[in-house]
Amino acid sequence: METERRLMARVGKGDEAAFAELAVRYGGRLLAVAGRLLGSRADAEDAVQRAFLQCFSNAARYRPTWAVSTWLYRILTNICVDELRRRSTRAGGDRALLSMTTSADGLPGSYVDLHRALERVPREARLLLALRYVDGLSYGELARIRGISINTVKSQLARGKHLLRGELAQRGVL
Amino acid sequence: MNLEMRDRLDDLLSDYFRPETTPASLTARVARSTRVADGDPAQLVERLAIHATSHGISLIRVGRPGRAAESGLTEQAREEIVQYLRGERVYFSVPIDLSAAPAFQRRVLDAARQIPFGQARPYAWVAARIGNPRAVRAVGTALGRNPVPLLVPCHRVWRTDGGLGGYLFGAVLKRRLLELERTTPVLEGCASTRIVCRVGCDHARRMKPEDRVVFASVDDARSVGYQPCKVCRPSAAA
Repeated sequence: METERRLMARVGKGDEAAFAELAVRYGGRLLAVAGRLLGSRADAEDAVQRAFLQCFSNAARYRPTWAVSTWLYRILTNICVDELRRRSTRAGGDRALLSMTTSADGLPGSYVDLHRALERVPREARLLLALRYVDGLSYGELARIRGISINTVKSQLARGKHLLRGELAQRGVL
Repeated sequence: MNLEMRDRLDDLLSDYFRPETTPASLTARVARSTRVADGDPAQLVERLAIHATSHGISLIRVGRPGRAAESGLTEQAREEIVQYLRGERVYFSVPIDLSAAPAFQRRVLDAARQIPFGQARPYAWVAARIGNPRAVRAVGTALGRNPVPLLVPCHRVWRTDGGLGGYLFGAVLKRRLLELERTTPVLEGCASTRIVCRVGCDHARRMKPEDRVVFASVDDARSVGYQPCKVCRPSAAA
C-alpha cells in the first residue's frame, strides 16, 4: 500500500484520485471521532467533509514531519471544538442536558451510560479520550494534535478516566 | 481491583469509540466538494467606498473608493474587512463613529453589536433589547440604513420566521456572511507560545499554520496549560 506521506504529496499536486483514496482510508476514523464528540451523525459528516476540504486546499502546506493522520486529526478536532463552542454559546446555560438527550438517541443500550458519563468529563479530556480510543494514538501524537505537552495529555486522560470510573460506578456499570 | 476496573473501562471505551468503515456517501460528498468553485468574498472590498471622521469609520457603501479620502483608519478598516471575509478575523478593532446617526438608530446599532460572531437574532430581539418591543419595523429600517455594515453586524439580524430579511449588500451576501461566520473559529491557541487569542489578533496572525489549535472556551484552553492573550483579551470577549 502506498505510504500515507506519498499519498499526501499527490493530494498536494491536486490529484483527485489520491484525495479520494485518502478519504476512504481515514473517513471512518474521523467520522467516529466527530460522531462521538458532536453527537449527531449529520453534524459529524459535515465536520469530516469540512476537514477533508481543508486538507485538500491546504495540502501544499502539509509538512512530512507530521504523520498524515495526526495532521488530519488536528484539522478535524479544530473544526469539532469550534462547533462545540458555538453550541455552548448559542444555547447558553445548561446545554449539556440537551446534548445528552439528543445524542444518546440511536445508541445501543449498553453505550448510553458511558455516553452520559462522558458528558460529565471536561471537553479537552473528552476529546483526548476519543482520539486515544478510536485510533489508539500515542501520547506524543495526542500532544501534537492538541498543541499541549505529553504530561498534560497524561494528566487529562487520567483525570477523564477517573471521572468516568466514578460516574460508571454510581450507575452500577463498573 | 483498580487494575480490573481500568481494564473494563478500557474495553468499554474501545468498543464505544470503534471506528466505522467510511460510508461511500461520505467519500462521494468529499470528492464533489473539491469541485465547487467559490469566488473570493474579499473581492467585495474592492467595490467599497469607506469614509472616516477623525473619531472612526462613519460610512461604508458600495461605490468607487475615493483615493483622496483614504486615511489610516479607512486603510485599517479595509484590511480588517478583507481578513474578516477570508475567515481570518472574528472582531473589528477599527473604531467607528456613529455620532451622525439619530439616537434611535444608534441604540439599534449598539444592540446589533452585542450579537456574538457566528450567531443570528430576530429583529424582535433587537427591539426588545432597546426596550421598545413593538418597534420591530422601525428596527428593520434602522438596520437597513446601517452606515457601517459589516463593522456593525446588521447581517446577524434575521426575521423571526427564519427568513433573511433585507440586506444592504443583497440577500446572497447576507447568507454567505452567516455561513462564513459559522465555519470560522473564534478562539485560537498557539502551540509554541501556549497563548490563546481571538482570531484576528496580531499575535494569532503571526502564528505558523501548524501551530494553530482551536479552543471552545478560554477555560478549556487554561485547563491544558494555555494563557489568554493580554492584547486581544479573549476572556472578555468569549
